[in-house]
Amino acid sequence: MYKKKCVAMLLAGGKGSRLNSLTKRIAKPAVPFGGKYRIIDFTLSNCTNSGIHTVGILTQYQPLVLNSYIGIGSTWDLDRKNGGVTVLPPYSEASEVKWYSGTASAIYQNLNYLNEHEPEYVLILSGDHIYKMDYREMLNFHIEKGADTTISVIEVPWREASRFGIMNTDEAFEITEFEEKPSNPKNNLASMGIYIFNWKVLKEYLEMDHRNADSNHDFGKDIIPLLLEERKKLIAYPFKGYWKDVGTVQSLWEANMDLLDEDCELKLFDHSWRIYSVNPNQPPQYLAPEASICDALINEGCIIEGKVEKSVLFQGVTIEEGASVRHSVIMPDAIVGKGCVIEKAIISCGVRVPDGAIIRPKYKEDPVILVSHESILESLMR
Amino acid sequence: MNKSMLGIIDSTMVHAGLEELTLHRSAAAIPFGGRYRLIDFVLSNMVNSGIQSVAIFPKLQYRSLMDHLGSGRNWDLNRKRDGLFFFPSPSLNKSVTDPGSLEHFAEHIDFFNRSTQEYVVIANANTVYNMDLVPLLDWHIESGCDITEVRKDGASLGIYLVKKTTLLELLDSREESGYLSMRDAANDLRSQYKLCYYNYDGYAVTIDSIDKYYAVSMNLLRPEIWKQLFLKERPILTKVKDEPPARYSKTAAVHNSMVANGGEIEGTVENSIISRGVKIGKGAVVKNCIIMQKSQIGENCVVENLIMDKEVKIEAGVKVTASPEAPEVIRKGTIKGARATT
Repeated sequence: MYKKKCVAMLLAGGKGSRLNSLTKRIAKPAVPFGGKYRIIDFTLSNCTNSGIHTVGILTQYQPLVLNSYIGIGSTWDLDRKNGGVTVLPPYSEASEVKWYSGTASAIYQNLNYLNEHEPEYVLILSGDHIYKMDYREMLNFHIEKGADTTISVIEVPWREASRFGIMNTDEAFEITEFEEKPSNPKNNLASMGIYIFNWKVLKEYLEMDHRNADSNHDFGKDIIPLLLEERKKLIAYPFKGYWKDVGTVQSLWEANMDLLDEDCELKLFDHSWRIYSVNPNQPPQYLAPEASICDALINEGCIIEGKVEKSVLFQGVTIEEGASVRHSVIMPDAIVGKGCVIEKAIISCGVRVPDGAIIRPKYKEDPVILVSHESILESLMR
Repeated sequence: MNKSMLGIIDSTMVHAGLEELTLHRSAAAIPFGGRYRLIDFVLSNMVNSGIQSVAIFPKLQYRSLMDHLGSGRNWDLNRKRDGLFFFPSPSLNKSVTDPGSLEHFAEHIDFFNRSTQEYVVIANANTVYNMDLVPLLDWHIESGCDITEVRKDGASLGIYLVKKTTLLELLDSREESGYLSMRDAANDLRSQYKLCYYNYDGYAVTIDSIDKYYAVSMNLLRPEIWKQLFLKERPILTKVKDEPPARYSKTAAVHNSMVANGGEIEGTVENSIISRGVKIGKGAVVKNCIIMQKSQIGENCVVENLIMDKEVKIEAGVKVTASPEAPEVIRKGTIKGARATT
């Protein structure tokens, strides 16, 4: 095995329980996004576009769909003879079965994978953010600054700062303090959950953390504070551009709506940084004579006979005659029946909304409505 | 019984009627239906019928065809055993106008000798159809035929089924028989073989002229036709591109059209086929057109009754129209400026 400069470890085992029924059967990184993609496509495309071709993907929660989606990584050009994608599920040892109890323990249990590649640097990623980022620039920053660990940060609005892990830094971007969800934030630089470690430092601290029985084995809660305590050099890498945590139904809907904004910083149509995705190979979308479409993102295999406005439609969606869809996200293979009115909703994969159904919030400001098979059944029972 | 089939796609024919679209490509590689090329139909039919070994015999201008097919991965033909084969002709002086060029096949006789499949399906590359070939094979065997030609409404579709041993005999005896093609062999009234004609009821049109190309493309806008071509259980496979979903702006108005991914549409589109990565500017009106990949139509343009080949650029405010009876082809890469109108 050749030595690698940088190996990525992608944490994709989270449950994403704030996405409610969307993650009942699939892991959060596999949740559909943007009319064509799954959330993990963004991180994996960033890896391949950044020239990082060795990626370990740590899975745990509901991995069936995610595993088959990742396959051998050919979608992202990550089917490599040397390196490529390796799915790393929890495994059993002679004495016990060890689930990944935290982000750090997940990496710790795969130290063998990293030992095999002997990288100089390890890039830790999570599979639940929407962004385009050249990790090479962050790595160069890390090397230039002579850091032990670099954490990518983004400026968030001050009023939202208390929802994030906030990095307090000096002028040289050196991190002096880390505060998890501070009630009185001193800064508005939020951690994006993207870390670069010198491999030797990471190994040492993961082993140290493993021996600590009181630890949660989490990067944010344990490893970063420990590194700060030990006066390691922690650098904040200021990222500029679109970045969105799509951890809730509301933020997932917002991020989809962002794509329709012409001024959106996330350019899906920028071919120099393509987002790769498993292509379903369906016929072009058919727009019937009576169809009316504006301000929309629509994927192949859709059949549209009704009205679509400011919405995102995934592959294989059918909008039947007289139906109207506004400000909504319609996931793959869903059918919106004749004469339906859908507003500010997410319709889950394969759901059939019965003819004439009206799904819209009472007031414009009300939260987005998530429609699943179960919620359709419930309303039919009533 | 070994009921396996070998697939042969004959792309050697030259169609004078398609010249405008085949200056840089073979008929097999003509873009069709927004995201396909004509060869996708026959190739997908073969793969969907369980054929695992497909050989393509191209003649001229096959760069774009090779680029399209690649390793065969999109058709699941990147196999360790069998898979996709590509056999350009070493030299071929005779102009071929009929499907199933025996001389071309004979140049690659080793391939036929080595193949283990008992039957061979030979088909042209420019027919638009979605056909299950298994019932054809069953019928051929049950009827005890030697050479079967597939026909629709009495006319040949350029699809033939024979035993491999029969094909080898035809190749071996082609000097004596005088047969140049499978069509000759299947239509010789004095043939020593049992010749049969299999009637196909489904939608199938061989594209051999611009008029047919235009008419069949426009047929895709009729749900009763596309429902016969694009079936979930037998998908037409093609080279996939990582294009984002089509984007319609606030000013877009699109009716009775097919649109492929990667399109950015800000104008009005009616009765048209819009391929991958096409841009249509604000205020532009596109009617009864086939717009191929990556063409750009500027703001406030008017285009009607056109077949716009790949990477054509119509600059802002330009009007280009043809009569509905004679749709005009705009050649690949053409740039139409403010002065050029027809």
